Amino acid sequence: MRKTAAIAAKSMMVRKRIAITGLGIFSAAGKDVPSFSGSLLAGRCAIGPIDLFDVSPFAAGIGAQVHGFDPLDHFTAKQAKKLSRADQFGVIAAGEALGNSGVCGCYSPYDIGVSMGAGAAGMLQAEEWLKETLAGKKGNPSLLRGLLPDRTSMAIAAAYNLGGYLGSITTACSSSATAIGWGADLIATGRLKAAVCGGSDCLSILTFAGFNSLRVVDTEPCAPFSLGRQGISLGEGAAFLVLEDEESAICRGACVYGHVLGYAVAGEAYHMTAPEPSGADAARVMTAAMNQAGVSADEVGWVNAHGTGTPLNDVVETKAMKLVFGNRAMGVPLVSTKALTGHCLGAAGAIEALATVIALNEGVIPQTLNFRGADPDCDLDYCHPGAKQSAAKVALSNSFAFGGNITSLVLGI
Amino acid sequence: MSDIGNDIVISGMAAISAAGVGLDSLREALCRGESLLKPVPADILGESGHLWGKADGFRAVDFIPPLKARKFDRCSQFAVVATGMALKDAGIEPAALDADRIGIVLGCGFGGIANSEEFLRGYFTAGAEGLTPMLFPNTVPNASASNASIEHGLKGPNVTFVQRFCSAESAFMMACRFLQEDRADIILTGGVDELTPAMLRGFAATGQLRRHGAGFGEGAGILVLEKGSHARRRNAPARGSVGCVRTIGRLIPGQEGEGADRLLAGVTDASLVGLSGTAAGEKQLLDRLPAVTRLETAPLIGRSIAMGGLAMTALVLALRPGCNGLHLAASPEGPYYAIDFRGGNPVQP
Repeated sequence: MRKTAAIAAKSMMVRKRIAITGLGIFSAAGKDVPSFSGSLLAGRCAIGPIDLFDVSPFAAGIGAQVHGFDPLDHFTAKQAKKLSRADQFGVIAAGEALGNSGVCGCYSPYDIGVSMGAGAAGMLQAEEWLKETLAGKKGNPSLLRGLLPDRTSMAIAAAYNLGGYLGSITTACSSSATAIGWGADLIATGRLKAAVCGGSDCLSILTFAGFNSLRVVDTEPCAPFSLGRQGISLGEGAAFLVLEDEESAICRGACVYGHVLGYAVAGEAYHMTAPEPSGADAARVMTAAMNQAGVSADEVGWVNAHGTGTPLNDVVETKAMKLVFGNRAMGVPLVSTKALTGHCLGAAGAIEALATVIALNEGVIPQTLNFRGADPDCDLDYCHPGAKQSAAKVALSNSFAFGGNITSLVLGI
Repeated sequence: MSDIGNDIVISGMAAISAAGVGLDSLREALCRGESLLKPVPADILGESGHLWGKADGFRAVDFIPPLKARKFDRCSQFAVVATGMALKDAGIEPAALDADRIGIVLGCGFGGIANSEEFLRGYFTAGAEGLTPMLFPNTVPNASASNASIEHGLKGPNVTFVQRFCSAESAFMMACRFLQEDRADIILTGGVDELTPAMLRGFAATGQLRRHGAGFGEGAGILVLEKGSHARRRNAPARGSVGCVRTIGRLIPGQEGEGADRLLAGVTDASLVGLSGTAAGEKQLLDRLPAVTRLETAPLIGRSIAMGGLAMTALVLALRPGCNGLHLAASPEGPYYAIDFRGGNPVQP
């Protein structure tokens, strides 16, 4: 799937572009890029039993947990003790992306930054502290170390000796998609020569109990855009992309996997949890992202949906597609990789961006897994029967969040 | 790196802090220069001798209908009210403008933590039956900015940052960029924080009460940034303008000098330096700055994760028209920001 620098140079457009020169992931669907690519292309759902904490009180007790994870496979005991589970995922995935790109050492460390999205972060460990203190114990203070979601970015910068920009976006489920767009901006403006951009998040009782209490968790693996879908399946993981100015990347002989062509971000100003029902705001953001990228709707081959599998969200995203693509909507597949990875909240946008880049390089539109039947309100092409071959060079990746925060990324090869 | 000529004006501001509600109370506190921190009640920590900067003068129901106020966490209450005050100060009625062109980008420290703690407390003490679903949506750090956008109809870019003591500055830099890129005409930016007894107990547990958690505060400092061309078209008031925004992520051991040089490149003519976060302890940075008056809000109203919003508001309030100021913000392990401001109205010099 790698595209050589020479080929990238030939296809380079006049417009200055931000190149993706490194990929990294650590998730239930694969603990590195090759294994994740295998799951994505084979359509292997990673949603299953959870044993990270007791899920027996909840109607829906499944999710996409990273099983078989031993921090000591990646860190010394001393290092591991200082990092939350989310920090560890982030450091591992960012490390794969940076190693893959070979960017460290090519620029001053002050020219390489971290732009990431975060969510529950070290909440899982903080929950232990709260439980201990409620039980009248003192509580181990080290459990609070990763409570603030910015801790992961600092751990990544320290682990890889990066001194450039350091920022953590915390807009729930759209966090890491925005972080990728913002990272591209930081390079485009000359603030950075390279940035490792993405997100990390892990399962926690807070989010598991929270979404269950709102009754938006499916008891079976989530089935985006299907009839009878009941909601999300939670997941965890981290994904990072290394971004560079394409010209500089080519000069140093980097491999170019694709480009962040543009992005847009907005608030619906409608409701804290419910999407604006007409899809007009989601469509507005998708259109703005394409405009910012200089890409027409006709050039977009498919869309990696937010696609949570909640009854309402999937219908609204379907409506937004029709507003954006008009009569062509049926010919632009809207697929959800959350049925593969679970909804990884703060890391979701980055995992989906990475999946989109991999699929574009493979000439494939991924399958939306776990089909249960056709929903008359979801009447577009969701690739439910299986993945499709595609010559598309451009795809969108949508992320919607609590608060009405919407981000749409335009990715290309 | 330089943002000179970015033509961004500050057309409005708002402040809620231990000094009170509104810009006048903050200005008065700056003039008096006396600490407004108060003793933390001994029953919270089981010991006395600690100070905090609670915004005791703020009552949400003075600004928001009681039933609606109950829906919000305290951080969101601060954000909703301060956003309204900042819009009013800027003479902006969102409904009369293109709402898609008005955004909000905030830094938020421990936003959502209080709701998270209450939600989990219910679960740990009473199981699934003890869960209060209404609390969950406001456990996310972006609840403050999002609730403010919903209440005031701001449909432009909407982003929240958490990045140690530079959370508000992180937001500020993005807000400037969004205006430069023409993603919006107006963006409200700054920081919002709340302070709860549970947080203080967490600081105590981690040893932070005697370090960076000492004298913690809460509140909101919001600045209305506006494209100069837009402000001029509507004859907007302008309290100041924004110059260069500089940042580095960390001072790398062994390469601190290069980092400091990059952070402070081009800083020459500031007549007032505002210090935020832990900048007052950054000797290697302070030694490179001109020997001018320094303004530090933390000893007056408290330090908080997103205190940069209040610190930048204070700096702009204190700058005389035509004078340049520098806002220097730092966190113990980074990041660092150096932001240039100019006082007064550049629209009507």
